[in-house]
Amino acid sequence: MFRTIKSTAMVLGLSLTSLIATPAIAGEFPTKPVAMIVAYSPGGGTDTAARVIANYIKPHLGQRLIIQNKPGAGGQIGFTALSNAKNDGYKIGFINIPSIFLVKMLRDNVPFEMSDFEMIGNIQLDPVLLTVPVDSPFKTFKDFVAAAKSNSGNITIGGDGPQSNNQLQLVVAEDILGIDVNFVPFNGSGPAITATMGKQIDASVPSASSATGHIKDGRLRALAVFSDKRYPYLPDVPTIAEASGMTIPGIGASMRGIAVPKGVSAEKRATLEAAFRNVVNDSKFVAHIERLGLPLAYMSADEFSAYLKDAESGIAKYIDLLK
Amino acid sequence: MLDSLLLGIDVLLNPTALLAILAGVVGGVVIGSLPGLTSTMGVALLIPLTFSMPTEAGLAMLGGVYLASTYSGSISAIILNIPGTPAAVATLLDGYPMSQRGESTRALALATFGSSIGGIFSVVALFFIAPPLAEFSLRFGSPEYFLLAVFGITVIASLSAGSMEKGLMAGAFGLLLSTIGAHPITGELRYTLGSPTLYDGIPMVVSLIGLYSIPEVISMISGKSGTVIENETVRKRSAFSYLPEVLSQRLNIIRSSIIGVIVGIIPGVGCSVGGFISYDAAKKASKTPEEFGKGSAEGVIASETANNAVTGGTLIPLLTLGIPGNPVTAVLLGGLMIHGLRPGAELFTINADITYGFIMSLFVANILFVPVGLIFARYCAKVIMVPRQILAPCIMALAVIGSYSIRGSLEDVLIMLFIGMIGFILQIFAVPRAPLVLGLVLGTLAEGELARSLALVHGDVPAFLYQLVSRPICIVLLLLCAYALFQGIKQHRQNSKLLDS
Repeated sequence: MFRTIKSTAMVLGLSLTSLIATPAIAGEFPTKPVAMIVAYSPGGGTDTAARVIANYIKPHLGQRLIIQNKPGAGGQIGFTALSNAKNDGYKIGFINIPSIFLVKMLRDNVPFEMSDFEMIGNIQLDPVLLTVPVDSPFKTFKDFVAAAKSNSGNITIGGDGPQSNNQLQLVVAEDILGIDVNFVPFNGSGPAITATMGKQIDASVPSASSATGHIKDGRLRALAVFSDKRYPYLPDVPTIAEASGMTIPGIGASMRGIAVPKGVSAEKRATLEAAFRNVVNDSKFVAHIERLGLPLAYMSADEFSAYLKDAESGIAKYIDLLK
Repeated sequence: MLDSLLLGIDVLLNPTALLAILAGVVGGVVIGSLPGLTSTMGVALLIPLTFSMPTEAGLAMLGGVYLASTYSGSISAIILNIPGTPAAVATLLDGYPMSQRGESTRALALATFGSSIGGIFSVVALFFIAPPLAEFSLRFGSPEYFLLAVFGITVIASLSAGSMEKGLMAGAFGLLLSTIGAHPITGELRYTLGSPTLYDGIPMVVSLIGLYSIPEVISMISGKSGTVIENETVRKRSAFSYLPEVLSQRLNIIRSSIIGVIVGIIPGVGCSVGGFISYDAAKKASKTPEEFGKGSAEGVIASETANNAVTGGTLIPLLTLGIPGNPVTAVLLGGLMIHGLRPGAELFTINADITYGFIMSLFVANILFVPVGLIFARYCAKVIMVPRQILAPCIMALAVIGSYSIRGSLEDVLIMLFIGMIGFILQIFAVPRAPLVLGLVLGTLAEGELARSLALVHGDVPAFLYQLVSRPICIVLLLLCAYALFQGIKQHRQNSKLLDS
């Protein structure tokens, strides 16, 4: 409690000093707290990740990072707010891939373009898993594919949805493997996992971070992870290439990265990029994020932009399957 | 079991933890009583504050906020006729009339003690029988959820004191409003007028603020609701003298607590539904059902006991299986994970000290919000003596700020005002508003689960109907629905006869 009072007092003190004692020196950035738009509600997965970053970034950024939640319409409201934000570098955003593409490609009249943003860096990558109840007859991914082929259209698979990254990953897999399953959308990965454990459905495609605990507890079995690399918190689960012998791009993986509205000066972008790169390498931050079970996957601004370009064309190829 | 108890008590001997509970309870009482600040927001916004606290203290504080804010929504419901949280809508039905009679201290005391007892009951259930109860939550599939929603909708009969037709109309209107937004299975956008704000549907808390506060403000300005002078005998009695009155309703308390815990265990249903179903059950079991809606003590106790019994219930699947039952526990799950606690078996073995400490701190929080709430409410109750011309603009300002602050969206304020106008029109024609809230809460659940049930059987309607009559929980729910309809019709006939003669 005493620590809380102390930290509250510190925060209050700091915010006061930042109001009074920050003479704007030309060329110095940032001279005041930076605001980060989060396109989802307080307390959700994206918000939690953002707040943990905000908690550790101050020494690297030199200023506080303030979280502004702009939830609604599957991220559209927040992403739109970011695209319209002032490009002075003090307004940045946490963006979710592939959600931002899905919002743009699946809806009419979305008032932002991907070219409205410039990337600062990616923080994490959460792949999609294929999970079954622990006593399911599907012991391996091959069992599952065989069943889906012999019983076409009758295997029910739950997942976050509709029109989610999880569904995207499943339709990509269906297309490449030449199978047809019955996808049933649930209100998030959590309810889909609950339905899998309760055997209301045959399998599910949750995000890896939300299923890890249940897999370790022995209530779920993961047959494959839709990713090039094994998932660090589940080293025994084979990648999709290992499990199926085929190449299936992991474009359904949910990524969270930092972007700014276009037009922020190169120096400011470099300062922001360095701050986020340093926080991802901060051992205290890493320890905290590991306790949360969130998978870090840092990409620099250039790597992130290149990845997005590939992802955009990859998603565009499959988008009609989601409609 | 004794070991676990001792482990838990050990945590409580730490003054930091006790202070954290107190801070959480005080914060929770304030958050819950302000319309627009919900339990979910309270917990979400305090999580970053727990980063720097010891795990036990941090969790104790979050638990305190959750329990206290669920309870304190009743304070504004009783005093101002505006529910602080969705869970208090059923409490309002009798709490406000009671307060209008000049018995606000009594109403607040009944709500406080009822909440506390319901909360304690649910914590005891959490402590002793969590694992077997948790398995129950896994047996709920889409057909079960659909029937549960239908059963919830039958409660409308009990909520429409006076006129069943008007209640049904309000309920149907609520169901209609709940179809706004993206279709839960296909994602198709309906009635959104092209505005992204409506893609997720009409926001619950925003509409609650509009529905209740706007008509209240209008009637204050028009001079229809005057200040209430508290009844002399009620004012002289201390709040604690009402404890025996609560305890004397043994059956009501036990029934409401059990309903609350069961509703809590079922993921995705929540506190408000627990309050509604329990209110309905109490009315059906009551010897004086005609008192309901006019300030019945039984109604206040039933609703408040149940909605706080839901809190412990929702924690059962959360702690044992990692399944959050409502938005607050979903946020709480994030809070647990941030401190490195992974719900599931590990929580009761490796981290048993922290887990049992958390459960014990919930127990303490359930007791602690009684004095905190009563002291807070005593000052809040003075609000009813404030001249209406001062109170009305204050409520209006709170309503606008509250609806804006949820998503930081001006469009939400417009939605609030729009729903407020609907509320005002309903009030003119004496149409009850609670069925509309129920329709809004359950409409999304009923529609989504019906569509999902059908998707699970490839749209095969006979197969779906067969599921409804072949799954055990479905059969029980169908019987409950049939009983509720039968009771409703019987009651309606009796009332019509009374009117005829």
